[in-house]
Amino acid sequence: MQELQDSNPNAALAMKCTVQKDKLADAVNRVMKAISSKTTIPILTGVKITSGRDGITLTGSNSDISIQTFIPLEEDGNENAVVHTPGQIVLPSRLFSELVRKLQDEDVHIEVDSRFIAKITSGATEFSLNGLDPEEYPNLPIINGSDAFRIRKDLLKDMIKQTVYAVSVTETRPVLTGVKWMINDGKLSCVATDSHRLAQRSVSVENGEDSGTHTLVIPGSSLNELSKILDDDDEQLVDIIMTTNQILFKSNNVQFYSRLLDGNYPDTSRLIPTESKTTIDLGTKDLYRAIERASLLAKEERNNVVKLRAEGNQVEISSQSLELGRVFETLVPEHFEGDPLRISFSAKFMMDALGKLDAQSVRIHFVGPMRPIIIRPIGDENILMLILPIRTF
Amino acid sequence: MDWQQLSKEQQTVAKVLRHAIDRKELAHAYLLEGPAGTGKHETAMLVTQTLFCEQPTDLGPCLTCRNCRRIASGNHPDVIWVAPEEGAASIKKEQIAYLMKEFAYRGVESGRKVFIIEQAEKMTAQAENSLLKFIEEPHSGTLALLITEQIHQLLDTIISRCQVLAFVPLSDHAISRRMDEQGLPKPLLKPAVALTHDYEEAVRLCKEEWFAEARSQVLQLLKGLCESLEAAQLYIYEKFAPNFDDNQKMTVGLDLMLYWYRDLLSLHLNRREEIVYEDQMDRLKEQMLSFSSNQAVQAMSLILDARKQLDAHVNGVSVMERLVIRLGGTR
Ligand SMILES: [Zn+2]
Repeated sequence: MQELQDSNPNAALAMKCTVQKDKLADAVNRVMKAISSKTTIPILTGVKITSGRDGITLTGSNSDISIQTFIPLEEDGNENAVVHTPGQIVLPSRLFSELVRKLQDEDVHIEVDSRFIAKITSGATEFSLNGLDPEEYPNLPIINGSDAFRIRKDLLKDMIKQTVYAVSVTETRPVLTGVKWMINDGKLSCVATDSHRLAQRSVSVENGEDSGTHTLVIPGSSLNELSKILDDDDEQLVDIIMTTNQILFKSNNVQFYSRLLDGNYPDTSRLIPTESKTTIDLGTKDLYRAIERASLLAKEERNNVVKLRAEGNQVEISSQSLELGRVFETLVPEHFEGDPLRISFSAKFMMDALGKLDAQSVRIHFVGPMRPIIIRPIGDENILMLILPIRTF
Repeated sequence: MDWQQLSKEQQTVAKVLRHAIDRKELAHAYLLEGPAGTGKHETAMLVTQTLFCEQPTDLGPCLTCRNCRRIASGNHPDVIWVAPEEGAASIKKEQIAYLMKEFAYRGVESGRKVFIIEQAEKMTAQAENSLLKFIEEPHSGTLALLITEQIHQLLDTIISRCQVLAFVPLSDHAISRRMDEQGLPKPLLKPAVALTHDYEEAVRLCKEEWFAEARSQVLQLLKGLCESLEAAQLYIYEKFAPNFDDNQKMTVGLDLMLYWYRDLLSLHLNRREEIVYEDQMDRLKEQMLSFSSNQAVQAMSLILDARKQLDAHVNGVSVMERLVIRLGGTR
């Protein structure tokens, strides 16, 4: 890669590097996902570029989440970048990402002087951008590697999918807009509730024994963003590190940081009944579709309620709309145990829960018409979904 | 602004806050209340920088560390400033949503967060109620500073949950010092403050072209008066009258004349710190030689008489004419 002449004799050189355009464009693209033009913190409109001894790091943040990508100097025997002078700069993100995409040459040279003016050259094109003081950029937590535990990427995605849907969307109890994560004795348990329903899942993690007991609450919106940026390389492991202020997910050369919610998460174990008066096993898809059909009428009504009647080894799903009529459907359970029962619940909540389960069949526990309904996939004791019934009479 | 200056300007406020910071006994919410220009914003900045500064001294924050600089530039992620947009009747819904979100989240960098709400009276009642919830159940390490000039427009429930810090109007001396720090033209500072006794009004005057012109014309008129009555009268017709074309402006003109004679009196009494026309010291001293303190008092009472006539809606120019003739007699 070619060397550049220092062109500004008046200002000291603050950073100088050369990067492969495609690598840079990829990295910028990724960190842009964390950058918002609506931020109230001016420096966060920029992307931070740090040239270090091992490679080049890009950071983007909206303060709630931060994404960092690392371009190693060398990868699989190929040269990605050369750092001539280590240093850092914050550049206007939208402009920078656009210009990087439109550059023609394979290499991009970035040269920054002490007045934060960045000269970006590629082929015959030269841009001069006014950067911002990198000292103004927020600190990301300093990570102590020993606290990390690891989890397979596909499992992480499942855990997020199976819990985050149940977080509260109203701000009345802000802590409920997050998912509680607890690591204890090599096991990670996640729980979310909006106080009408609850979802929880636990999983064994690697290295978890050493990480002690930690509890924290991650904003649901952050987890949704994380899911989006995790690529499909499912078997890969993700390192997870919990700090007081933030949680870090690290996979390959991408690091995802999320802030945490403050406040005490309620003790959800008391919500979950331990006994069962009626237990029914049903095919997950059969039940889902029956409720979906019943909800065709039910959703015309205000609260989208369907009724379930279990009696004599039969399950009847029904709903009615005063204007439109009624619908009945009978299902034959794979297994039925306990008392006959009539119960009403939100079709949406039941479908949300069933839709997140991969198991062929589910086991549903009822305690009574006004007590929580527990749904568990058959074959996986680590997943539990709960919904509260609705009083309809 | 440092703690020493705050002590001079707002002794009680400085004492309460400094004490609370030193003993780590800050309340969760303070309401900084008082007229414009009394240093509420600067005090919020001072408290915040003192809390986050990496090397604070007894005087205050260092202003040079990363935290101090980022607080001043609005880039510190754990300091949340909310202020109504310029000209907006209320603080926007999105701004309140942002505030609420920040209340619910832990800090980005540290366990400490400071929330500053300027013109807090511009929150809607609904916003105030959401805020109330957080003030009532604060997370540890959070500090809310509400700033208002209109405390009575806030909900009683908010006021009662905050420790109220009342900012008192500044002395003329403190107002001029503060305006001086703003880099406003020195010769205009003291006359403007003497006229208004109010920071914002004085700043406004100093920025008005008319005021600078008025001041120099009054000085010109007085100079003419020292030379000959005729010169002064001519000056009134040609220059003065067109510029002081209504009674309100003429009142300002009379006051500016009054300060001149008051300055002469102050000089006689050796009260230099009260002198308004500081930049005219040489001329004042020169005139003092031939002008007794009694004459100064007499001139002042003539000007006050003229002001009464103006208040009684006598035509401004004729009031000034008559005054100049009578002042000519005191020479
Ligand atoms: Zn400092």
